[in-house]
Amino acid sequence: MKLIEDPSLDRFRDECRAWLNDNVPRNARPSEGLELRAYDMAWQRTQFEGGWAGVSWPKAFGGRGLSVLEQLIWHEEYARAGARTSASMFVALSHAGPTLIVQGSEDQKSRHLPAILKGEETWCQGFSEPGAGSDLAALKTRAVIDGDHLVVSGTKIWTSYAQGADYQELLVRTDPDLPRHRGISWVICDMTLPGIEVRPITTMTGYAHFAQIFYDEVRIPMTNLVGQLNGGWGVAMTTLGFERGTGTIAHQIELANTVERLITTAKETYDRATGKSLFADAAVASRLAVLRAEVAALRSLTVASVSRGMREEIPGAEGNIPALYFGELTRRVNGAVIDLLGPGAMARGGSHNLPKAYLESFKWAIGGGTSEIRRNTIGERVLGLPKGPRAI
Amino acid sequence: MIVDLEPTDDQRLIAESVGGMLAASLPVARLREASGNGAQPENALWSSLAELGLFGMGLPEEKGGFGYGLPEEMLAARELGLVLASPSVLAQMAAAHLADDGLRPAIMSGEARCAFASLGFDGTVWLYDGDAASHVVLLGDGAALLPRDAFGNWTAQVPMDETITLANAIAAGDLPARDNVAERISLLIAAATTGIAQAATAMAVDFAGQREQFGQPIGSFQAIKHSCADMAVRAAAADAQVRYCAITFGRTEDDRREIAAARWLATDAAIENAKANIQVHGGMGFTAECDAHLFLKRAHLFSALGSSRREEERRIIADAD
Ligand SMILES: Cc1cc2nc3c(=O)[nH]c(=O)nc-3n(C[C@H](O)[C@H](O)[C@H](O)COP(=O)(O)OP(=O)(O)OC[C@H]3O[C@@H](n4cnc5c(N)ncnc54)[C@H](O)[C@@H]3O)c2cc1C
Repeated sequence: MKLIEDPSLDRFRDECRAWLNDNVPRNARPSEGLELRAYDMAWQRTQFEGGWAGVSWPKAFGGRGLSVLEQLIWHEEYARAGARTSASMFVALSHAGPTLIVQGSEDQKSRHLPAILKGEETWCQGFSEPGAGSDLAALKTRAVIDGDHLVVSGTKIWTSYAQGADYQELLVRTDPDLPRHRGISWVICDMTLPGIEVRPITTMTGYAHFAQIFYDEVRIPMTNLVGQLNGGWGVAMTTLGFERGTGTIAHQIELANTVERLITTAKETYDRATGKSLFADAAVASRLAVLRAEVAALRSLTVASVSRGMREEIPGAEGNIPALYFGELTRRVNGAVIDLLGPGAMARGGSHNLPKAYLESFKWAIGGGTSEIRRNTIGERVLGLPKGPRAI
Repeated sequence: MIVDLEPTDDQRLIAESVGGMLAASLPVARLREASGNGAQPENALWSSLAELGLFGMGLPEEKGGFGYGLPEEMLAARELGLVLASPSVLAQMAAAHLADDGLRPAIMSGEARCAFASLGFDGTVWLYDGDAASHVVLLGDGAALLPRDAFGNWTAQVPMDETITLANAIAAGDLPARDNVAERISLLIAAATTGIAQAATAMAVDFAGQREQFGQPIGSFQAIKHSCADMAVRAAAADAQVRYCAITFGRTEDDRREIAAARWLATDAAIENAKANIQVHGGMGFTAECDAHLFLKRAHLFSALGSSRREEERRIIADAD
């Protein structure tokens, strides 16, 4: 436990800040669909041209290869500059790309990695199915080998940013007779292939954030297989250690800003009945104080997890602790905004669309692993409690 | 500002040597028979604790300390919480920061003995485990070190936590305003309180892995498993915040609110985890024989050391007035 004082890091921070100030897009970001995709790709291109693409990727693969501390600084400055998180580029930059770096063939790497960094291709993640969510290994989308192709039939659901995505990391069942974790393969699916239909799904916020995808005898070349045939579970579970806990910093800072804005608004909002500000109400002040304490704790948990990340190569199950805390706290913070600010908070529009942020906040306790699944993992893999019943 | 929250090798060693000594000489089980005896085992250990360097740990060398800083002192305080050490041990560490040059050597050697006292709403002062004390660390908004007899007569009371002794008196004079030393003491209390939260979690997890019902360990049931996971998260949040404060103390404008947050989170974790631990133990958890209630009572006691969740909330939000 110590303060890290390193003038070269201060210079690095100045460099990040200056570049971000000059380059972060100032135009409004579209909420969905192809316009959103175009916006995110253009911003990625700008980062590439400025030498900031793939901050956590190793240099050998075209990334910036920042150390953990430099990543921390970059993400802090990124949030401070008001840059938006990578959204349509997220799967490509934080999941598919790193997976290819670790597991992909030379051909797969040279084909996709530079294009991702330049913002020329977007990816989506085809893991979940209607019958396989938390229990991912129950997936049924079938791939049959036909010569040098896999023929895929089935459906995926809740696929974020599927609209317009160029590629998909697709998990398919290549051998239904093997035990369920062993008959799965990880393939690169070109989303323009014949037989693929993308049906957007509107979320509770009112935007088409994700989609259901149907595959009708889609022919994918065997060369798109990543890792071994039937080895896809291992590929999907490859622990991608590039980010070392720094990936959520921008979200965490954004949440802290939301609490500070709420405090300011509570001070500036007067209750006609009492003639006092909302903040002058002890019950309101108490609630705001607790939220402030909790966002401070989230910041400290994130710092603790980055500190661990500086030392361990492979992130452990402990990462579920800040993730669970973040998901639950995000819901509480945005819930308080709607709860405290009265009828005015229920109108959309304005510089901060409060209803959208509130409705959006529910996803953080579901997507990427529900809070319940995270509690299971903390119980079993961090605390060592006995496993519950499992399907085999 | 960039902070590294992982203990250095040196810090790990300090925590291990303090923790090892405490675990060997002050196992929580000692408190089962402790009713009415107060801090007797701790009292017997006082000179060893002084020799270990506990009482001057965070003092600079020119004041006779070891030249360690707040992070090392905080780690030691957390170890005290883990074994439910008498609050007087922490009071002695706090007193080293409050004492003047004349008194300090006697505090560090353990010759002068200290105990915590809290100022109640109505001006009553409550003294914890102060039977052997020559001095009192009085905590309200600020903190002061006073001779025990400055308060006139102490009247013995029966505490909720019967493993300590309790006495009260009428306050003498005003407390100084809250200053950096009071903040530092509050952070040390938060660290010890975090230790209580961690120990309650460990006890619940241990029991949940062993106790069987319906032919399986109760820890395999999600209601229990998730309760344990939530305990671990609360303890981790408090611990991370306490460690963060220990490093950034004195370097930002936000000390007051960051430490208040640490204190709030630690109190919340200790009390809520202690409650959950009782529930995980079922009927056994409601008995005097099971240690679970000891954590609850101690958590409440530490929460009241010159503070409460409500007062910390005021401090957290104060700068926003
Ligand atoms: C905004 C958003 C974006 C998403 N993006 C993608 C994407 O891009 N690609 C993709 O593949 N998937 C994506 N998902 C899907 C996401 O991974 C799943 O929704 C999630 O894993 C839960 O699966 P499910 O929806 O089938 O719910 P279920 O697994 O059916 O869960 C329903 C409820 O049961 C609980 N539950 C289930 N199993 C257990 C258990 N063992 N113990 C205790 N409780 C349990 C859950 O916690 C939940 O409360 C996204 C989801 C959201 C919300």
